[in-house]
Amino acid sequence: MSLLREHWRKLALLIVGAGVAVVPLFVTGTDARYVLKVLSFVGINALIVLGLALLFGYAGQVSMGHAAFFGLGAYASAWVTKSLGLPWLVGLAAAVLLTAAAGILLALPSLRLKGHYLAMATLAFGEIMRIAFVEAKGVTGGPDGLSGIPYASIGPLSFDTPQMNYWLVWGVLVLAIWLAANIVNGRPGRSMRALHGSELGTMASGINITGIKVRVFTLSAVFAGVAGALYASVVGFVSPSTFSLHLSVILVAMAVLGGTRSLAGPLLAAVVLTLIPYADAILPGLSREVMTVIQEWEADVYGLVIIIVILFMPGGIAGALRGVFVRGGEAK
Amino acid sequence: MSLLQVREVTRSFGGLIAVDRVSFDVHDGQIKAIIGPNGAGKSTLFNLLTCFDRPDSGSVLFEGRELFGERPDRVVRMGVARSFQNTQLFEEMTAHENVILGTHARSGSSFTPAALRLPSARKRDDLASQEADRLLRLVGLESWRGSLAADMPHGLRRLLEIARALATSPRLVLLDEPAAGLNTQETTALGEVLYRIRDHGATLVIVEHDMGLVMEVSDEIVVLDRGCKIAEGPPRLIQKDPAVIRAYLGEEDADEL
Repeated sequence: MSLLREHWRKLALLIVGAGVAVVPLFVTGTDARYVLKVLSFVGINALIVLGLALLFGYAGQVSMGHAAFFGLGAYASAWVTKSLGLPWLVGLAAAVLLTAAAGILLALPSLRLKGHYLAMATLAFGEIMRIAFVEAKGVTGGPDGLSGIPYASIGPLSFDTPQMNYWLVWGVLVLAIWLAANIVNGRPGRSMRALHGSELGTMASGINITGIKVRVFTLSAVFAGVAGALYASVVGFVSPSTFSLHLSVILVAMAVLGGTRSLAGPLLAAVVLTLIPYADAILPGLSREVMTVIQEWEADVYGLVIIIVILFMPGGIAGALRGVFVRGGEAK
Repeated sequence: MSLLQVREVTRSFGGLIAVDRVSFDVHDGQIKAIIGPNGAGKSTLFNLLTCFDRPDSGSVLFEGRELFGERPDRVVRMGVARSFQNTQLFEEMTAHENVILGTHARSGSSFTPAALRLPSARKRDDLASQEADRLLRLVGLESWRGSLAADMPHGLRRLLEIARALATSPRLVLLDEPAAGLNTQETTALGEVLYRIRDHGATLVIVEHDMGLVMEVSDEIVVLDRGCKIAEGPPRLIQKDPAVIRAYLGEEDADEL
């Protein structure tokens, strides 16, 4: 029975994966560049939100500074590839190492304390990094940012078209989803579910609660850092205004709307909420005026989403769906 | 040499001294009971021994190593497992999964092997599953394997918590009132489980109210009253000890026995 369900699950994932892979083949016409770029942004945001889903939905912690990790990864890889002229993979490695180090340094002291110290620490970290991005002109280019960042490349393989960029971003995202799903379904995931059930019981099982939270936080910081490296090479330009508290809030909104103890929910929320300001990429009929209104009210929509979710469906999309299935199951 | 050496342990809350310079030894292979009237400091002492609480002063040596100052989860990994007076199970998980979590103490929750689904992770999961099944049989819960902890009757939940404690491969198991709320039949079954645990090589310390169970299973008894140790010895001597009788039948606590 469960084996059969497992097969269906795999089949469904395979179909979704194949669907995602062939999208660039069907996106043609004058808008193709724009649409593929928007879809790459969707993948990049989804990668960050995947990390936040592990942190918020499984480890029960909130980060208000993930835009800063995103920026750290973007600047690290931009600097290594553009200013130092090193290969893209070296830039990616720099992004991973830097964000991992920053994640551990931030999480270790704040997660040893009870309560929402991590949220506070990440909020401060985000502001400090935003200022650092502006002031460290020698590396970041200051308020003007860095432009002319080379495309991603792995050996002879160059990701220099919108199609290739799309495949790069979504390929990395699929890999990250696989890693995250394995963690959630494996021992670390079981420990985190235990933590939800009983903190005392978890300690009595010899599980280092702080250690697990620190590792989840570091992993989520690295996911954001990798997303940053992808962003830098896809857009070719980074500037400090991108990595603001505003973005951190949007990312948290996606994770909260997506729901707890789920990866699919937050991923879906990331896709939908990222597309709102780019609705014209999906619905070509939308006029410029409508788009202006949507983009002006974007932040308000996200704020409203957080309030509605917290008030009426604290489990988010995933929690609401679970509720429907559980109730349906009991009715039988 | 004794497995656990408790020396001059003291813990006070404000002006109240809950545990007052208590010392005793637990020897390898023993079942040792800690008894005393309500408010004697049993549970406080218990939380101190497992490092879920910090003492004002004193020392607890386990296999010659100081426990005080360690984190609770470290103490578990050093080989001291515990149960709780109010069971702390993972309600939304099955009995089998609850016990598997105990095995995490030995084999860790490391991310990398799990994330990459390395063969070592799979092998460890298989071993953990088998170990959990063995321990469910040991406490007689094999037929409840797939049930959620939340759906299990009270008495069996206590046994499940004991199985989870055993899954951490402890040398010393501390049980906080394992018979509380059990009926006579369940208490008898619990006694047999305690013997089985000892025969598997673990040493036991139980805090218990049920005098029948204590007198039957324990090799030695420590009696606490108002935070102080007032007697220590084998059950037959404890039953005749004038200080113990006074503590239990004295003015305030006449209804205890």
